[in-house]
Amino acid sequence: MQKVGIVGYYQVKLYSDANYGRYEMIFEASRGALDKAGLKKKDISTVISCTNDYYDGRTISNCFTVEVGGGYMADESKVEMDGAHAVLYGLMRVLSGNHNLALVWGGSMASCYPYHSARLYETDPTWERPLAYVNDITSAGFQMRAYMEKYGVTVEDIAKVAVKNKKNAAKNPLALKEAQLPNLTVKDVLDSGIYSDPVTELMAAPPCDSVAALLLAPEKQALKITDRPVWIKGVGYSQEPYYLGDRDLSGCKSMNLAGKMAYAGAGIKDPSSEIDVAELFEACAHEELIFAEELGFAKKGKGAEINSAINGDLPINPSGGALGGHPPCGTGLIRIIEAVKQLTGEAGQYQVKGAKKAVASGQIGMCAQNNILYVLEAN
Amino acid sequence: MGRQVAIASAGFSEHASKRSDVSMPELVSEAIEDCLKNAPSVELGDIDAFVNGNMPAFEGSNIPELWMTDWMGARNKPLLRVTTGGTTGGSVAISGYYTVAAGLPGVDTVLAVAFEQQSQGDTSVGLASVAYGEISILNTLGIPYERISRLLSAGAAIGVAAYQATTYMNKTRISEEDLARVVVQNRRNAAKTWWAHLKMPNLTIEEVLDTPYVQYPLRYGMVCPASDGACVMLFTTEEKAKEMCDIPVYVNGVASVANESAVLGYDGSGSAQIDPSMQLGAIRSSELAYKQAGISFPRKEIDYAEVYAPFPNQQLLWTEKLGLFEEGTAPAMHEAGITDFNGELPVNCSGGVNSTNAIGASAMERPAEAALQIMGKASNQVPKTVHTSIGSGWGGSLNLITLMAMSDQPQRKWR
Amino acid sequence: MSEEKVIVANKGLVRADFAFWVGQYLDKFYDGLENKKIMGNKCPKCGDVFVPPRKICGQCNVVIPLEENWVDLPDTGILKNFTITPYRINDRSSRKAKDWIIGIVQIDGSNTSIIYRLLNMEPKDVKIGMKVKIEWNENTKGDPSDIKGFIKV
Repeated sequence: MQKVGIVGYYQVKLYSDANYGRYEMIFEASRGALDKAGLKKKDISTVISCTNDYYDGRTISNCFTVEVGGGYMADESKVEMDGAHAVLYGLMRVLSGNHNLALVWGGSMASCYPYHSARLYETDPTWERPLAYVNDITSAGFQMRAYMEKYGVTVEDIAKVAVKNKKNAAKNPLALKEAQLPNLTVKDVLDSGIYSDPVTELMAAPPCDSVAALLLAPEKQALKITDRPVWIKGVGYSQEPYYLGDRDLSGCKSMNLAGKMAYAGAGIKDPSSEIDVAELFEACAHEELIFAEELGFAKKGKGAEINSAINGDLPINPSGGALGGHPPCGTGLIRIIEAVKQLTGEAGQYQVKGAKKAVASGQIGMCAQNNILYVLEAN
Repeated sequence: MGRQVAIASAGFSEHASKRSDVSMPELVSEAIEDCLKNAPSVELGDIDAFVNGNMPAFEGSNIPELWMTDWMGARNKPLLRVTTGGTTGGSVAISGYYTVAAGLPGVDTVLAVAFEQQSQGDTSVGLASVAYGEISILNTLGIPYERISRLLSAGAAIGVAAYQATTYMNKTRISEEDLARVVVQNRRNAAKTWWAHLKMPNLTIEEVLDTPYVQYPLRYGMVCPASDGACVMLFTTEEKAKEMCDIPVYVNGVASVANESAVLGYDGSGSAQIDPSMQLGAIRSSELAYKQAGISFPRKEIDYAEVYAPFPNQQLLWTEKLGLFEEGTAPAMHEAGITDFNGELPVNCSGGVNSTNAIGASAMERPAEAALQIMGKASNQVPKTVHTSIGSGWGGSLNLITLMAMSDQPQRKWR
Repeated sequence: MSEEKVIVANKGLVRADFAFWVGQYLDKFYDGLENKKIMGNKCPKCGDVFVPPRKICGQCNVVIPLEENWVDLPDTGILKNFTITPYRINDRSSRKAKDWIIGIVQIDGSNTSIIYRLLNMEPKDVKIGMKVKIEWNENTKGDPSDIKGFIKV
């Protein structure tokens, strides 16, 4: 795969109820990414946005964002999944040779709509939706239980992930304020109230408001734009079947296949020793452990044994991950930006020392039905 | 960077105002079966990746590609979803092209799926919420939501398109009879297309003009229907396409340039384009796509065109904006028979969007039909040999456009 | 920022009716439900039985013909997974008085599962792998609510 670099990025701070209009946030992100790279609007060749009609409460959610998102008289399109998938489409457009600078932005304002009701519309309207027993809340409970039953992982093991991520979020100035909990304990997490047994409130990623953007350019241009481009070495994406009964919820096959595809493209043979840091989109704390296993960082069922702290053997989500704030349609994009920051040395207080290779993931669907994984490398 | 992409096949489901015999996933699998029937050496298991799109607001289902994974044959396969409103089909086709052109390892053959089952939902609510955020200010003036939604919607965004029609008619001095003539041509062509919706082989201009106005200058007899249906295209590399079909169709130019949001502009401030028939996005898209495809004289080099026209005035408008005819001359070209089935540059011989409009799929059906004309496999195959064709899409709030330029010769000039 | 001030507030209800076509396979299944019978269909290639029935077997990518391969299945099944939640999806802002136990049940003889409430049980009674049985609604209408839930066998 030819080299494509991430040459600029910008992330608006995560708010639980932002004092912004939708357009102002999108403009801040797009303009910020261009400013960071030192580029102008007229340099943009293509724009890919990521929004969701149901989350924004408007049909064709991209048609009025053309001007603010930098898309006026640019070749633009829209992906309706996670921000990380929009980056994939931007990447494809650059790899095709048709475009030299792609701007990708995504995000939404969860304070403006009932997130869980909107998620309900993903379900099968002809069979599962009328009774609404299976929805994003209960799915999380099913998966956590399946994982615990199969491998004997305890609720404490999983609560430790939430503790770590919320502590990490406290070091991340852009994370959601309500998720920045430096003194959180395992007991706090377990006592935080049942979300869907055995998942508790603090184990679930909190939806919030934000928009993020990044810029992609082919190798020749990337080296001219910045002296610290981050190369996309490999990407993989895959989708599992829809019905929960068709899947083995104790694992995540789509993350496994996405990982294989990305590692093959990047030439990674032994992920646990070659990858220095991972930013994974975990909608629930247990997903981080499942993903780490599927990506080859630990054997099945042993995800809790990885030392994933910022100064540990394989840091996972040093920025706090989605548990530090989850703006729907933007979270995967932010994971990529956080991985980029680790590789350019711009991660401030949660910087992993000497990080050279990173993975970043995004997901969409119940229990992460569709996953996408990037392997990124510093210049 | 990049590589040549070819279309090996295209397929459709039956289109009707109510496909009550199938659920959404089954509708999609019907179109996939038709597509693979046209490329018999390909099985569903041979597909490396998928792209899917529709307009989700119309069916009350968010990201339905998750639900229809198995019906598409996408289990444990890469899948991307692209939706851009009215141009969704065109955007899905373009992203099918890019998925192959990018050359990710192991991704050579891509199935692009676009569909809509509008009968399941309330189209006018879906359409009104395109701009409701901007025009909710009208509620404070006492105009209720129902009035606003009727103003903007009915059929396919007729309210906004009516402004486009009046400005165009003003510039070209055409009459309603000219519009009716286009409609008659479309409905008669649709009668010869197996998957089309409004098939009227004996329609006359008088019958069209004898219907009441929906919104001046467009009458009921002139507007597109709301259809249920799906369309599927198979994209692959040059080498594999040669094994899959007799005449591979090479995708040589793609563009989807966005114009500014129309009519009311941002927050009702009226900052938008004054003349919605100007369509700078279409002009720019055609410049980009033709340059990529090495087309210098579109009027002479393009043999067939499928332009996205739910309303007859647009069929004339797009042929000008996409560079096929000089500004203001399309009505004369049409009257002279140049765009007829037997003409020099046939346009919309499938009946066009004017006769079949499953909104999510219709912008893909244009390049699909245009590709089939090159392959010689179209339902209403024109008598002249088609070497180069284009398929366009239009949507958003008058500001989104998609364009695909195809040919039976690959474009060898590489970047 | 100074204190928030409401500039314009619009309140109202927009009615949007959606009616989903279930397709002919599910149609037959719902007819079965109305008669308090569970019907599945079988993939001709791999032999997997689907409840509810499907047109395509996702594993084999083959079409299961509409008129063939129907299988009658019993009312009983095995509990594969469960969760307990106080939230009703449309009303997440308040916690309901009684938690619902929701289970994933595999009907005997099928290879998929259906998701319904577990009735007349306390959380401590629920064990993965236990045998359960459908409790039907008195008056069946041919829709998913005909199955009230699952009870212990």
